Amino acid sequence: MRDVIAAPRPGLDFRRHFGHHQSPAIRAGGLIFCSGMLPIDPDTGERRHGTLTEEAHCIFANLKLLLESAGSSLDRLVQVHALIYDSIEYDVLNRVYRQYVANGPPARTVWTAQSEAGFKIQLDVVAAA
Amino acid sequence: MTDRLARSVIQPTNPRLNVSRNANLPHVPGIRIGDYIFLSGMGPIDPQTGERFHGPIGEQVRMTLGNVRHMLECAGSSLGRVVRIQVVLADIADMAEMDRVFREFFPVDPPARTAWSMQLRFGNGCEIECLALAG
Repeated sequence: MRDVIAAPRPGLDFRRHFGHHQSPAIRAGGLIFCSGMLPIDPDTGERRHGTLTEEAHCIFANLKLLLESAGSSLDRLVQVHALIYDSIEYDVLNRVYRQYVANGPPARTVWTAQSEAGFKIQLDVVAAA
Repeated sequence: MTDRLARSVIQPTNPRLNVSRNANLPHVPGIRIGDYIFLSGMGPIDPQTGERFHGPIGEQVRMTLGNVRHMLECAGSSLGRVVRIQVVLADIADMAEMDRVFREFFPVDPPARTAWSMQLRFGNGCEIECLALAG
């Protein structure tokens, strides 16, 4: 079974706001695969640029909305790819990240890469349904 | 513990697309495990010649996604069963062009997608990795 998870809030629909041809998340075989999570206002779809910490808070809030609307939660994360714009922010990432995965953090890989629109961080996430 | 999932290697029917074997690299084109198919990252390889194709980025993405389709169909799956796809570009400015070609391959209910840019080997303009459900 392959199910499309709809955007829980209008701002999180990237097709609508940015024309990106992707689904917010897909549920398949007991797992939920999220499209790259970016710091977007969940109500308006506006980009919320800020420090890496601010952007990460926004992303985790959006991720919580998305996963909970699909019957999952941040406690059920399986794997995270964290894409940050500069490896010098690695400690900054860890500091904000640990607030959201206090109980049994998921497997994680951090890459230094460029995300669209100059965002400082993007999360690519798999969670258990 | 439950029973161990069956694991098998996925090979393309077109031998020119078997990059891991042709270049003697320590990976395989894909692995099926349980109901999932994991494909290795794929670049713009011309299916007629087996050579890297470094034309316009739209053409590179089209060729790469065509190769992804071939690989999935060889494994009894299809683009319609792709769950998650990761698109890596050499230049983030190519996002819009990538997206334009992308929708040719996924007309309805596209997969979850993450796209970013970082340095790619061999001068490739894109590399695409995906996870699909088996057929």
